[in-house]
Amino acid sequence: MPTTRIILDTDPGADDALAILLMLASPEIQLEALTTVQGNVNLEKTTRNALALLEFLNARNIPVAKGCSTPLIKPPHGTQGEEVHGKSGLGQAVLPEPKNKPIETHAVDYLIERFLAEPGELTLFAIGPLTNVALAIRKEPKFARSVKELVIMGGAIRSGGNVSPLAEFNIHEDPHAAHIVFNSGIPITLIPLDATYKCLLTSADVERLNKIDSPIARLVHDVTADYMEFYLKYEGFNGCALHDPLTVAAVIAPELLTLEKHYVNVDISGGVSTGKTYADFMKVAKQPANMQVALGVKGREFVELFVERMERLSRSRL
Amino acid sequence: MPKHIIIDTDPGIDDSLALLLAAASPEIILDGVIAVHGNVSTEQTTKNALSVLELAQASHVPVFKGCDLPLVKESLLSPETHGNQGLGYAQLPEPLTQPKAGHGSDFLIEQIMSRPGEVTLVAIGPLTNIALAIRKEPRIVQNVKEVFIMGGAIQHPGNTTAQAEYNTYVDPHAAHIVFHSGMPMTLTPLDVTYQCIFTKDDLNRLLKINSPITKFIADSTRFYMEFHDEYQSIEGCVINDPMTLALTFMPEICDYQDLVVDVDISTGVGLGKTFADFYNYENKQKNMKVAMGVRPRMFMELFLERMEKLARNIS
Repeated sequence: MPTTRIILDTDPGADDALAILLMLASPEIQLEALTTVQGNVNLEKTTRNALALLEFLNARNIPVAKGCSTPLIKPPHGTQGEEVHGKSGLGQAVLPEPKNKPIETHAVDYLIERFLAEPGELTLFAIGPLTNVALAIRKEPKFARSVKELVIMGGAIRSGGNVSPLAEFNIHEDPHAAHIVFNSGIPITLIPLDATYKCLLTSADVERLNKIDSPIARLVHDVTADYMEFYLKYEGFNGCALHDPLTVAAVIAPELLTLEKHYVNVDISGGVSTGKTYADFMKVAKQPANMQVALGVKGREFVELFVERMERLSRSRL
Repeated sequence: MPKHIIIDTDPGIDDSLALLLAAASPEIILDGVIAVHGNVSTEQTTKNALSVLELAQASHVPVFKGCDLPLVKESLLSPETHGNQGLGYAQLPEPLTQPKAGHGSDFLIEQIMSRPGEVTLVAIGPLTNIALAIRKEPRIVQNVKEVFIMGGAIQHPGNTTAQAEYNTYVDPHAAHIVFHSGMPMTLTPLDVTYQCIFTKDDLNRLLKINSPITKFIADSTRFYMEFHDEYQSIEGCVINDPMTLALTFMPEICDYQDLVVDVDISTGVGLGKTFADFYNYENKQKNMKVAMGVRPRMFMELFLERMEKLARNIS
């Protein structure tokens, strides 16, 4: 199987860090660049975390381009994300200050440059608010048709929201950007809460991984420890959902996902359902499907796969 | 000292008149023109900007192409107001100059950041390019000298929906970004522009000079006057955009109020409506100066004199 060449737009973020780890642990994937966006924590922190993670993982050859510091129209949410992801954004993990700097080019221009240089060749993963992707679409009309596929972590179709009763964080944080992206014509695979909440990494999983004495295993522990505390406090289970890592399944284990094609849009009305993603299941809007959505997943199988890949990566770095 | 000005525009009949006024005014140095979608497509507004600048013998002014779609809403052009080509009945020759390479929003960022506090922006179309530039490079907010915006209808009815003015209706989300950016802004809403009617008498005065300039003004505004007559029962036409430009060097044309101004992006019937919070119970910081009163003939005399001068120079 040819490797899937990926550019990842991200806001690390505890689960973003796990997604980056999983990509680097997956031979099916060639991770070519990161673009950063504000989201779980502010842009300075997400960019710093992206650089620090790549250096820690001996992948500093992967360039990082810094993107947007605020959502398109809504004010940024402030520091609530630090409650979930820790003050730094990476939980208890303390990574050395990165020596690398982000490249000069703005993330929006970098995305445009890379995708237009090789139309139809690169896959885009977006696991934070969609601000950078939306601006790339509006700035360069050829961008949308140059993207081979876009895999997004975001939305809650039948599932409840995790930031308002109806809305999921990434989409709620920049609903206007999501509106632009969803209606852009890019072939999209959406990984919403409906699937990610079925993939729970437990503290027993992390203990099992840490039988291997490796900085990678310790990083997974340090990144998830506070994240799990948060889940215990607010959502009543001892573990954490693998939101962002589950996007990687679209490449390495698509058979685990229950994918359905639907017309999906996002509410930008300014009412109580602002940021709510909804699928037109009954086709009342008579719109063609604009994405495939993971409405289900073999959750435990994915978590096993995740832990195995982490074990393999840990053994390679004792 | 002349002001350095960049115009973001969607020519458009009144936009073209603003470009002519810029070319005819020694108080300003026109450093560049950025085209945006609006009255017609960006392809066409770019071409029109180039053609009008050539007509005014100002083809040294660089023209950049900007966004072709509003940020979030669907595109809305206005051929019924400005004609299919955007210049009414005027037929200008194909431009000999080309737009410069690069995106209009990047030109704006580069100009503002390389000369902090020196660049005045005049935005007379939908605000898409400006919004994109602010989100990409937030520091332009502190470094732009001033922004003059044609848009909105505060106490005046709308010209596109019952409540909304065209530029803010076409891209309300961009207007929302710009209005809340913290840039020092002066807004020229319909409240003042609809008091300045360019009449047939004004046109006849210009036509005493035989020049491609006066011919262009006649051919473009004839279409515009037919539109105003048919849709708004106005004899003559409203030339919003040159008035906005004139305020950069002759502010005494208008009276201003410092106000808290916002735009409705809630997608209800008020979408695109600009409104001022006159009572400001929440004590919000005033975000712009709004032209709420005007001396119409002061502006019109300025405009006519400048067009006469330009016409005499180009015959």
